[in-house]
Amino acid sequence: MAVPKAAVVLRHVKSVMVRFCPFQTNVETTRIFLEHVNSKKARASNISCVVTTDVRHDGSEPVVDIMFADGDRLIMKGANLTAAEMLSAFNSRCIAKDLKAEEKTKKKGA
Amino acid sequence: MAAAALCCRGLCRTGWLPTLQIVRHAKSVTRHWKAMHFERQKLMAVTEYIAPKPEKCIAPRSKAVTEENGYAKLLRWQVTETFRDSKMIAVCQHNFTPSEEMLLMKHRLRKHNIHVKFFPNEIVRPYLSVSKYKNLLPLFVGCSLMLVSPEIKVKEMLRILKNVPQINLLGACIDNTILSNQGVINYSKLPAMAITQGQVVGTLSLMASQTCGLLQHSSAHLAALLDQYIKQQSGGAGETDGKAGEGQAELGPAKSSAGL
Repeated sequence: MAVPKAAVVLRHVKSVMVRFCPFQTNVETTRIFLEHVNSKKARASNISCVVTTDVRHDGSEPVVDIMFADGDRLIMKGANLTAAEMLSAFNSRCIAKDLKAEEKTKKKGA
Repeated sequence: MAAAALCCRGLCRTGWLPTLQIVRHAKSVTRHWKAMHFERQKLMAVTEYIAPKPEKCIAPRSKAVTEENGYAKLLRWQVTETFRDSKMIAVCQHNFTPSEEMLLMKHRLRKHNIHVKFFPNEIVRPYLSVSKYKNLLPLFVGCSLMLVSPEIKVKEMLRILKNVPQINLLGACIDNTILSNQGVINYSKLPAMAITQGQVVGTLSLMASQTCGLLQHSSAHLAALLDQYIKQQSGGAGETDGKAGEGQAELGPAKSSAGL
């Protein structure tokens, strides 16, 4: 499945923790997600966002744990997900938060 | 319909007159399905496509042999050489790194004779599946880079990689042993070979050195006890030396005369 070309925006993200075991075979999509999160545009969108990678060798499932600035938490288990699905789930939440922020600013302005 | 009737009457009575032309006719393009003209049906039937049957084909079409790309051959040769000449091969996940940081990291690693290699997965995976490094296959997925060196300098490599958070160590093959991330860290904490050999030799020789002491221990202990006894005896008899000394002296010559 082709990965969408839309860039990952980390504006509302406080921290991203990616944990995987590289010797497993179901890790490809998690690694692709990690590459996208660490891309140039993503890092430029939020310099204060902390991206940590936990490389283990215990046969555990690959997990992506995203902590948003407003306290929300998104946990994605990447064993049976495609990279496109993970990115679209993450982007949809970011867009929803963008809309909320815009509404708040409009209310404040009004 | 009326026009068609006129036409028919004309045909029956006067023959086919070229000047008699049908002014009104049915439309050729209709919204409903309309049967083709009979002549057209005959033409379509005659010119229908008949596909050639496979048995009638003389020979199957042979696929043109695609020659291998020269660049792919070169990369494969480089991969083979890299895996053959390196004692330490570390595989890392390569996320985006600014070019200055990358250059600095390459420079620091080059000081310790560690080379940074990028190979496409399409070249590396077929080579690995055939070679003895089969178990490294799962690591070569996505964007990865290799740190190779003919020497084993794990501590220096880990120290340099700590400064570059975008490069994540996934695993390594050091001295024909595949290690995970934690395994590489444990390997770096091991003492040097000379120190380890000295420790082994010391442990083995400790047993041998103790044997001599154990054998002599019992006789030495007995000698010490006898010494102690003699001292005690001589110390207790020292008080009566003055009295018993003369008696002993008298006894001594008497004994000696008796002996004679």
